[in-house]
Amino acid sequence: METLRDAFDFRDFSKPEKVGFVIFTLFLLVFPWLGAGSFVKAVVIQFLLFSLFGMGWNTIGGYGGQVELGKAQYVGIGAYTVALAMVWWKIPFWVSMPIGVLIALGYSFIIGYPLFRLKGHYFAIATICTSLVLQDIFINWKLVGAAKGIELPIHEHPDFLYMQFKSDTYYFYFIMALFYVAIFYMNWFRKSKLGYQLRMIKEDEEAAESLGIDARWCKIKAYSIASAFVAVGGGFLAVYNLYIDPYSVMDLDLSIKIALMAMLGGAGSMWGPIIGSAFLVPLDRFLGSWLGAHKGLIGVDFMIYSALIMIVSAYQPRGIWGIIEQFRKR
Amino acid sequence: MIVLDALLQGILMGLLFALVALGLTIIFGMMDIVNFAHGEFLMIGMYTAYWTSLLLHIDPLITLPASAIVGMVLGLASYYWLVKYLLRGPMIAQLFGTFGLMLFLRYLAQFLFGIDYRIVQKGLLVGKSLTVGPFIFDWTKLSAAILSLIAFLLVYLLLHRTKLGKALRATALNREAANYMGIKTERMNALAWMIGGGTVGIAGGLIVNFWYVYPTVGLLFVMIAFASVAMGGFGSIKGAFFAGILIGMIEMLFPVFGHVIGSDFLGPHFKFTLVYFAYFVIVVFRPQGLFGWKH
Repeated sequence: METLRDAFDFRDFSKPEKVGFVIFTLFLLVFPWLGAGSFVKAVVIQFLLFSLFGMGWNTIGGYGGQVELGKAQYVGIGAYTVALAMVWWKIPFWVSMPIGVLIALGYSFIIGYPLFRLKGHYFAIATICTSLVLQDIFINWKLVGAAKGIELPIHEHPDFLYMQFKSDTYYFYFIMALFYVAIFYMNWFRKSKLGYQLRMIKEDEEAAESLGIDARWCKIKAYSIASAFVAVGGGFLAVYNLYIDPYSVMDLDLSIKIALMAMLGGAGSMWGPIIGSAFLVPLDRFLGSWLGAHKGLIGVDFMIYSALIMIVSAYQPRGIWGIIEQFRKR
Repeated sequence: MIVLDALLQGILMGLLFALVALGLTIIFGMMDIVNFAHGEFLMIGMYTAYWTSLLLHIDPLITLPASAIVGMVLGLASYYWLVKYLLRGPMIAQLFGTFGLMLFLRYLAQFLFGIDYRIVQKGLLVGKSLTVGPFIFDWTKLSAAILSLIAFLLVYLLLHRTKLGKALRATALNREAANYMGIKTERMNALAWMIGGGTVGIAGGLIVNFWYVYPTVGLLFVMIAFASVAMGGFGSIKGAFFAGILIGMIEMLFPVFGHVIGSDFLGPHFKFTLVYFAYFVIVVFRPQGLFGWKH
C-alpha cells in the first residue's frame, strides 16, 4: 500500500515540473490523433522506447553511479526470447515477454556477481566485454539464425496475443503504457531504501559499507532491475520491428546510446533519461534522414551528434538537467 | 609444429597489439582516463601511411614518421581541446567525452575516405616472405614486429632513463607532489598524450602493411588494447607489453586448438571473443592486472 502511494506521489516535485509532466502526458495521449506522418510516429515510439531503456540504466548508472556500458545484451535477451518463442513454439508475446525478463534477471545475477567485484574503468570495460561476447555467440550460433537474424511470422489479421497490428497507433499506446509504468516505478524507486542506499554508495562507497550497507549486493540488485527494464524494451522491439539480428539488438553502439541518453539528459535525476532521449532520438533520426538524402554528406549527422556529446561532457557533465537546474537556482 | 608456428605468428601480432596498448596505458597511468578514441588514432595513422605511400609513391615503411607526427598532433590537439576540460568532470563524463571523440574521428574518416576497404598493394616487403626452416614469416609482419619492438624500447628508455621520463612518472605517481617540485604537470599530461598518439600512429603505419584499413577498423584494435592494458594492469608499461604478446598468442593458438580437436564451434571467428572473455576472467580474479601497481 505504502509502495503504491509512493509510486503515485509526485508532491515533492516543483510546480513547473508537475505542470510540464501533465502537459506532456496530455500531449502523448492525443498524439496519434494529431495527424502526424508515419515517420514522426516512428520517431516518437523510438523516443518512448529509449526513455524506457534510459530509465532502466538510470537505476544502476545514475543513482548507483556505476558506468555500465553493456545494456545491449539485455535488449538482445528480451528480443530473442520473444522472437524465438514465437517462431519455434508460437508462444504469444504476453507469455514470452515475462519469460524473457526472467531470463534477463537470471543472467544479470550470474554476470553481476563477478562483475561487481570490479570498480571504475575496469567495470566499464568489463561490461562492454560481456556484451561483445554474447553478441559474438549470437552472430555465430546457427540455431538462432546466426548473423542473418530471425524474422517473426506475420499474421494476416491483427492479433493482440502476438502483438501484431496494422497501425502504429496500437504500438504507440502499448509503449506509452510501458513508459508510464516505468515512470511510476522510478518514482517509487528513488524514494525506496535501495534508492537511498545506491546514492550513498555513489557518494562514498566505504562510508556506505561502514554503515552496514552491502554495497555489492545493492549494486547487483540495481543492475538486475535495470536489466529487466531493458529486456521489456527488447521484447517490444522484436514485435515492433518483426525482424531482429545480433547487430541491431546487441550492438555496442546501442549500449552506448542507452547510457548516453541518460547521461546527456542528466544521470541520477528523475527526468534526465526522458529529456536526453527526447533530445537525442529526434536529432539522430532527423539529421540522419535529412543529411542521408544528400549523397556525399553521409556521416555528417554523426559528426554533429558526436561533437555535441563532446561539448556536453566537457562543459556540463550533469547533462541538460544540470543546465536547467543551474538556471533555476539563479 | 603447427602449434609452434602459431605461437611464433602470435608473438609477431602480439608485439603490434602491445604497441597499440602502450599509448593507452601511458595515458591512463598519467591521468586515470581511458581513451576510447585510441583505436581511431590508430585508424588515422593507418590512413596517413596509406595515403602518403599511395600519393607520394614511397614505401609504406618509410612513411612511418608521417604517421607518427600525425598521431602526435592528434594526441596534442585532443588533449588541449577536449581532455583538459574533461578532467574536471566525473569519470562518466570523461568516458563519454573520449567516446564522442571516437565517433567524431570515425565518421570524419568515413566522410573523407568512404567506407571502402583499402590495403597497401605495392611496397618493398608486401607479399614477400622469409622461410626459416619449416616456418614461413611474412616480411611485412616481421618488420612491423621488429620496428614495434624498437619503438617500445625507445619509449621505455625515455620513461626510465631520462629526466623527462622521471618527471612524467613522478606526475603519474603523485600529481600534487610533482607540482610542488616544480614539474609542470599540465605539460606532462600533454606529453603523455603526445607519446600516446605518436606510438599508436606508428602502430597504424605498421599495421596497414598487412591489414585492411576502413573507418571502423579501430573498434577491434581498441578492444584488444583495452584487454591488454587491463590484463597487464592499467598504467603498467611492462604489463601492456607482456599482455599484448599473450593476447597475440591466444588469438593465433585458438583456431589451431579448434582445428586440432576438430570442433567447428571453436573456429577462428571466436578468437577475439576469447580475448574479451580472458579479460573478464583476469580482471575478476586479479583486478589489478598481471603487473598492476595502481588501484
